[in-house]
Amino acid sequence: MVSLSLWEADIISTVEFNHTGELLATGDKGGRVVIFQREPESKNAPHSQGEYDVYSTFQSHEPEFDYLKSLEIEEKINKIKWLPQQNAAHSLLSTNDKTIKLWKITERDKRPEGYNLKDEEGKLKDLSTVTSLQVPVLKPMDLMVEVSPRRVFANGHTYHINSISVNSDCETYMSADDLRINLWHLAITDRSFNIVDIKPANMEDLTEVITASEFHPHHCNLFVYSSSKGSLRLCDMRAAALCDKHSKLFEEPEDPSNRSFFSEIISSVSDVKFSHSGRYMLTRDYLTVKVWDLNMEARPIETYQVHDYLRSKLCSLYENDCIFDKFECAWNGSDSVIMTGAYNNFFRMFDRNTKRDVTLEASRESSKPRAVLKPRRVCVGGKRRRDDISVDSLDFTKKILHTAWHPAENIIAIAATNNLYIFQDKVNSEMH
Amino acid sequence: MEFKLEAHRIVSISLGKIYNSRGQRGGIKLHKNLLVSLVLRSARQVYLSDPCPGLYLAGSPVPPPQPGEPAAGPPAGWGEPPPPAARAAWPEPETPPERPAGPDARRAVDAEPAAPGAGDTLQGGEAAATAEAAWRRAEVPRAAAAGGAGDPAGGADVCPEGPRAAHRPCACPPGGEAGPGALSCAPRPAKDERPVPPPGCPRKRGAAAGDGPADCPAPGSSPLKKPRRHPEEPAGGAAAEEEEMETGNVANLISIFGSSFSGLLRKSPAGGREEAEAEESGPEAAEPGQICCDQPVLRDINPWSTAIVAF
Repeated sequence: MVSLSLWEADIISTVEFNHTGELLATGDKGGRVVIFQREPESKNAPHSQGEYDVYSTFQSHEPEFDYLKSLEIEEKINKIKWLPQQNAAHSLLSTNDKTIKLWKITERDKRPEGYNLKDEEGKLKDLSTVTSLQVPVLKPMDLMVEVSPRRVFANGHTYHINSISVNSDCETYMSADDLRINLWHLAITDRSFNIVDIKPANMEDLTEVITASEFHPHHCNLFVYSSSKGSLRLCDMRAAALCDKHSKLFEEPEDPSNRSFFSEIISSVSDVKFSHSGRYMLTRDYLTVKVWDLNMEARPIETYQVHDYLRSKLCSLYENDCIFDKFECAWNGSDSVIMTGAYNNFFRMFDRNTKRDVTLEASRESSKPRAVLKPRRVCVGGKRRRDDISVDSLDFTKKILHTAWHPAENIIAIAATNNLYIFQDKVNSEMH
Repeated sequence: MEFKLEAHRIVSISLGKIYNSRGQRGGIKLHKNLLVSLVLRSARQVYLSDPCPGLYLAGSPVPPPQPGEPAAGPPAGWGEPPPPAARAAWPEPETPPERPAGPDARRAVDAEPAAPGAGDTLQGGEAAATAEAAWRRAEVPRAAAAGGAGDPAGGADVCPEGPRAAHRPCACPPGGEAGPGALSCAPRPAKDERPVPPPGCPRKRGAAAGDGPADCPAPGSSPLKKPRRHPEEPAGGAAAEEEEMETGNVANLISIFGSSFSGLLRKSPAGGREEAEAEESGPEAAEPGQICCDQPVLRDINPWSTAIVAF
């Protein structure tokens, strides 16, 4: 079995804030999950307020080998989704290509001392030495974070899982692979319901696959899934048990002037996210991000060019496989700004109200603590300003596929290969 | 013309990707392979529709295979007919092809080559047959490569030379470059694990190369046990409860589109070399290649010299 090099295992494959933003989870190619916790702000050290430190690290998935099919199952964490917190513990779902696991994260900061029958090392005492009884007391101890796998949802998928999404009912969640979507109950691991199945009777008829899916944030019966053909399907689970028939189909007709060999590839949707309001959806395809209104199926209401200068380079990007990169997208807490990654460790933000956009870079050089990120620019011929980068000098091995935005504040997490950058907008901490 | 070269290059790159994906960790990625196959299709359409002197196109290239659909009518406005030398290689494609259906197709001893107007639609059974054949061919060279270096079959080059042997050297590396990278001319394994022959193919080659290379086994050979890895649908070979991750369609597309890409399976620089060869083979491009596919149309439109055996 091939194993990853030490370096490769650290490549971050998913980033996700929890519902309060206090915790940030990352998954990597080596199957590990690292959780960061935001330090509480304190008046004593105002400069260190709100920084994220490592809270817990654990091995979520291991490489497996399916002997029946002679297939190796990668341990790479494809997605992490937090469950809404219902008690002192935190829970999250993490998934690789085939298996979803529910992890419970608990803290222990006290321990009982003064057992009657056990000594301090836990060995049984000689009963003859016990002369009196005492009540054990809880004494503080160094914080210990314990993580345990509570559920393993296995054998639900034949194809590779690409998304998971927790329902607003907090009882169910769905997992989607290339051709099917299953609905699970969080407490039941031995069965799931198949709610979408686009596998054709004859695989030779296959024309599209499911690329991403998400539950509506408020309506527990609604979910959306995107396809490799660039369409979105909104489905209502009340309509039928099997939601193959969509309630709404969101599709934009192709611009014939842009047709090329690679039109189909670049129209494949790599990520879909509902807005916090639940009114809009954000999609990412290779060159653009689009905002869709749930009430309008014919076309997106907004389209933003992420890196249109790559349109003339699609053939090279096809050759080096970059055209298959799956970029994610994110809303800010107030749904006024959207963000997505690009190449050369650049990431882009688009303000929907002002229609202004900015390109920023996640790199060690430009990210000294408390440094202000400088906007970057890619020049496409024509006048070149001093700090511009030309298209040909972009580093396509440095890609920002995974980004996350704090649910309430202007804090973003950017995964650049094996580095995680967390940027905070101290000046404009409040959402506009 | 440059579109054709570009298209050719893209087709080669695409086939290389599909081939390489088979060894990937984690199994074949269905999404990526589907996208690659779509690019393959687009490039093929462009290649075939770009009018180019010397290119003989016998059939309609356009519609993707639609199992079950009736054959389309003959398209109009194709490229010029091939030079007479090339044409002589085929039996005259005047008669409409037999439309073999289902299992009969696999055993046709000598299907006629496609008439120019033949439809190109794949029927389900044929598609399955070609897919099956394609996958088995893939197994064959691997078995051979695994068996060791050298060319045990005595250099019976699977690259179909046929009447064009004189014109165009097989782009495959001279026998014996065993190993995963050189499957284009994989030697025939001693144990004859040949796939069911698509109709028409062996006979074409028969004139040229003795008993024919591994990719087009002699007609009439009995169907072989399918490789366990990729069971076909109708056989119901897949475990009842658990299904295989079916990627047979990928192989099918390769067999439909991918006959004869010279130098395809050489790692690099595939692009440059192919273009050079395409150029030098301009007039020869018209010559029909040895296509291991029962599609009547493809037989005649294939301009390239080597079959994709490894797939």
